[in-house]
Amino acid sequence: MSAFVDARAVPAGSTIETDLAIIGGGPAGISLALALANTPIRMLLLESGGTDLDPKTQALYAGSETGVHYLPLEASRLRYLGGSSNHWGGWSRPLDPSDFEKRDWLPHSGWPFSRAELDRYLPRAQAMIEAGPMIYDRQQIWTDEDGAPIPLAPGGVYTSYFQFSKTRDSDLPTPFGHRYGGDLKRIANLQLMLHANVTGLRLAANAQSLDRLDVATLSGRKFTVKPKYTVVAVGGIENARLLLASNDVMAAGVGNGNDLVGRFFADHPIPRQTATLVKFDGKLAPYYTDQQDAANAHYRAAFSPTEAFKAQRRILGSLTTVENSVPLDELGKAALATTAAALGVDASQARAFSLGCGMEMSPDPDRRFTLSSERDALGMPRLKLHMTISDDDLARYRDTMKELGRQLLVAKTGMIHLDRKERAEWLSVMDWGNHHMGTTRMHVDPKQGVVDANSRVHGIGNLYVAGSSVFPTYGSSNPTLNLVAMTLRLAEHLKTVFP
Amino acid sequence: MSGISRRPFLASALALIGVAAVGGGAYEFGLFRKHFSKYGDLLNALDNPDNAEQVGSAVLATMPDFDAVKTAGDLRTRIGKKSLADVLIADAQANRVIEASGWVLPETLALLCALAAKS
Repeated sequence: MSAFVDARAVPAGSTIETDLAIIGGGPAGISLALALANTPIRMLLLESGGTDLDPKTQALYAGSETGVHYLPLEASRLRYLGGSSNHWGGWSRPLDPSDFEKRDWLPHSGWPFSRAELDRYLPRAQAMIEAGPMIYDRQQIWTDEDGAPIPLAPGGVYTSYFQFSKTRDSDLPTPFGHRYGGDLKRIANLQLMLHANVTGLRLAANAQSLDRLDVATLSGRKFTVKPKYTVVAVGGIENARLLLASNDVMAAGVGNGNDLVGRFFADHPIPRQTATLVKFDGKLAPYYTDQQDAANAHYRAAFSPTEAFKAQRRILGSLTTVENSVPLDELGKAALATTAAALGVDASQARAFSLGCGMEMSPDPDRRFTLSSERDALGMPRLKLHMTISDDDLARYRDTMKELGRQLLVAKTGMIHLDRKERAEWLSVMDWGNHHMGTTRMHVDPKQGVVDANSRVHGIGNLYVAGSSVFPTYGSSNPTLNLVAMTLRLAEHLKTVFP
Repeated sequence: MSGISRRPFLASALALIGVAAVGGGAYEFGLFRKHFSKYGDLLNALDNPDNAEQVGSAVLATMPDFDAVKTAGDLRTRIGKKSLADVLIADAQANRVIEASGWVLPETLALLCALAAKS
């Protein structure tokens, strides 16, 4: 077992050669290193932070924002070994097959491959995030003791299931750094360096290959890494920053010949109290409001639009959870009593529940990161975010809830109140998922994507990007499971590029 | 003993008769309102006129051009001899729903409530 290397002890001005440089020790970087363990590929993983949170390192993330209110950039992610898995919630669900498809009504949609391609890697990714067996919507996960899901008439919404990364003996979802630190130390072909900030991707003069990496520490030490291949895996925001800031050979930044790096940023909007669900009989299985255990998995139900409904009604993905019991106002009581009586249903025990959701955004090139004139402690330009959310996205989600209400009425099980309508109402309850996606999007056409179908930066033979920044569309599922699967796919590809 | 116990018994009985009379009067008043409405034949299907009017006001807010006479005629045709519950289910199945102050309602029910608010 070898200890991690402290970059602050690396001789200044030295050059380290390696086969594969992995920049970033979050879920993507760690998954990649684990997947390439015991291969002939000599790996060097460069992590900016240490093994625990350090405020000075964390402050390197700070930036500025315009547009729709968004989370502070330094608060939305974590910069030490394990990355943002050190504070993730563990919510997991595979992307839907339609998430990968080209949808004529949705500009910029379409992945270079189908969900079937990702299926090859999802089981191993599921094991890495420790979310138990892959059940999700494939078979009944709930127990008879907890009771059946809410009966819904046939229609556009169904009950789907999250699983959670917490099947080991801990209440916390898998923090990749602490969980896999020992494994990483045992990988003979890996050197893992802490406190190593990559401040520049230096291209060869012809801009067709990466020549070297500039590395700096907050203690002032600087040195060089010369890799044969490099994978940038520093997160959905920082991936774009590193490419944009490396602008000595390509003036717009590495891989940014078509002005795409930093554009198409997305997160999952999480508006609170989006709707109120009234259940006529007042009964609700516990897995709607809280995680439950079954079949060696932790799971929770959510309402999701069906694939057919998304296609027919041009609806984006969403996952709606039941939050808590809420009182009805006088109009609500009147609507409940009138509707239940007219349907011939006993509503004497009725209860109302607030709904919340995570929803998909449509791709928007103007929702983007650019470099600001401010610089961080290492001299790197800070980022400026322009955040947007379209009225169409909000309306699409609202249509999904309306459909849920229709299905409840047909089934005579309940009804729906749509709590938000005007844009200001939505924004007043808006939270975000901290799921940073899209800034180095994947597309086979260099004019539409930063990386190709193998996650290689278009036009640069030995530079790859890993993580959810390559997602060209985003789905509504939480990204960690899917980005780990994507990284495992990248690992398979990298095994083929080394002689 | 019996004389002592008879007085509270009588008082209770009178109180019960009074409550029944008041309640019955309210009930009759509700029926009165329904029967004397131009749309009593339709509104009798609703459980509680006050609730229906409250919901109906919310429905009317979304329908500035609401034509009560025409709507009543349409509803008589739509409902016919069918049960109201069956008509509402058919509405929802056919995606005939109306949103009133956020509540997603079967169209027929929403229109009945609007009539109640108009009558």
